[in-house]
Amino acid sequence: MVDPIVMDLGIVALTGALATIAGAAEDLESDVGSQSNPNSQVQLAAQMNFPHRIFNKAISGEPPAYGLWCASGATVASVLMAKEMSIFFAIAIGSFVAAIILGLFSVTAHMGRTASQKRFKQPVYMDMVLGHVPSIMAHGYIAIFCIVAFSYIMNHFMGHPFPLPLLAFLWGIAAGAIGSSTGDVHYGAEREFQNQPFGCGLNAAFSGNIVRKGEAGLRNGIDNVWACAKFGGPLTGLALGMTVFLDNWRTTVFEGMNTIIAGLIIVLILILANRMVEVKARKAYGPYKDEDGVEIA
Amino acid sequence: MSTAAGGPAGGGLNPNQVIILGAVGGLAGIYLTMLNQAMDTTIFSFLGGIGAIFAAVWGADAVRRVCSYGLGTGVPSIGMVALGMGVVATMFGLTLPKVIGIPIIAGPIISFIVAAIIGLLIGLMSNKILMMNIPIMEKSMVEIAGAGALVMIGLSTAIAGSFDIVAIMPAVVETGFIALVFIGGAMTILHPFNACLGPDEKQDRTLGVAVSKGALIMALVGFASLAVESMDAMSGALTTIVGLVIWVVYFKKFMKNTHRDSYLVTGTGLLPSEEELE
Repeated sequence: MVDPIVMDLGIVALTGALATIAGAAEDLESDVGSQSNPNSQVQLAAQMNFPHRIFNKAISGEPPAYGLWCASGATVASVLMAKEMSIFFAIAIGSFVAAIILGLFSVTAHMGRTASQKRFKQPVYMDMVLGHVPSIMAHGYIAIFCIVAFSYIMNHFMGHPFPLPLLAFLWGIAAGAIGSSTGDVHYGAEREFQNQPFGCGLNAAFSGNIVRKGEAGLRNGIDNVWACAKFGGPLTGLALGMTVFLDNWRTTVFEGMNTIIAGLIIVLILILANRMVEVKARKAYGPYKDEDGVEIA
Repeated sequence: MSTAAGGPAGGGLNPNQVIILGAVGGLAGIYLTMLNQAMDTTIFSFLGGIGAIFAAVWGADAVRRVCSYGLGTGVPSIGMVALGMGVVATMFGLTLPKVIGIPIIAGPIISFIVAAIIGLLIGLMSNKILMMNIPIMEKSMVEIAGAGALVMIGLSTAIAGSFDIVAIMPAVVETGFIALVFIGGAMTILHPFNACLGPDEKQDRTLGVAVSKGALIMALVGFASLAVESMDAMSGALTTIVGLVIWVVYFKKFMKNTHRDSYLVTGTGLLPSEEELE
């Protein structure tokens, strides 16, 4: 007989693994469509006389958007489970419905914003809509499936009191917030402005002057997700995975006040680690200097 | 002009027309679900969804008007505030008649009034304390809160078949479907302007998006009501089908309006040349 704590930790590890995949897919989905923070520069590009072929999808901020996709997926899954469908298929179908809704919101967001830039002569390219939306839906599906799945595990096996749609909604918001704060930097600061020297910061004069041409031909959202899949996406996955894993781990291993103390210690360690990484990065890259070593930014 | 950083937003329908459309249409849809109780059926639940769509159009227009004063990244926040105020007002308004023993028919009206009061307070705080100094802030926040409350009541009624809190608690709150009602309602209000934001935004295109997104959420809540014991399957299916039909009509309309309003809609192509951009 397996010790119950081993079983519990196995479940905790599973939620962490699902959250890691969800986080990575969530960030990459937003990168295909330039949602959230990097979107403002894509939006500005056309206005600054830089028309482009990058998918501009401002559905809303990532947290409310993922709140909706996950709540929709979990609602459909709950109804199917209430009708006695198998859990796996219920979550799969729920996530599929949510991915379709994500696709539909993407179409209105992209075409709506582009049409509203008529005076800047930004065309609506239909091949971009047909090429990007399936990729957005595919990444979204993986993220929604994993979030609804670990929400179900928390609700069903870990005894969380919230019903599935509410729990998935809250974790959707958390995933969106983590994707927005972690992965977007890689896309927005690095990929969009690859034409600027590393670490120089964004001068207002460069606003909207994003990289519009790729290694071959014109750059698009799928080229961007290819680049972001190397660092931004996995890092977001790690952040969400760690959040879910560490939170569930402390409530599984400890009880009562010890859970809170363990939580505080984890937060303290993370703050210290963040500070050390920041100091190390500043020492390594420092302020931006020109060729003569004079500090310019 | 209706730019992201400009002045008041214009359009075919003036604000008062949209307010009447949203408030009257929203309340009418919600109150018409009382036919369920009158005829001992649940088939009229879809009218709650229709009412929610009317209210969403109003909310989206109010967001459009207030956000035209340069609230580009604040659009989603305004939508979340709308439903934040809406959920508090809805729960308070629908519960109060039970607590003080007045007819439940007063519930939606009380919610609506409470939402308006909360909206006014938040609008005053935004302008007087946070110094946002947007001329139409107070009025817009009242409108957004009112629309948010009506969207919430409409969608909840479509799931539960009644706006009686005794029906809504087990069908919407305890099942967790309130999450979908909350965020779905917020997105129908905030998404349309966020999706169509730009200097060449047009009112009919933006409000068309509100209808199509409201209809999509209506279809989803119809599906959710299949899990509610007090509702029969036909009623949920009808809500879903009506939602999908409205969505198809308004999605087609959106595509037509996009073709009308765009600089160019093309299958594929290179970027506009330097000469074209001049």
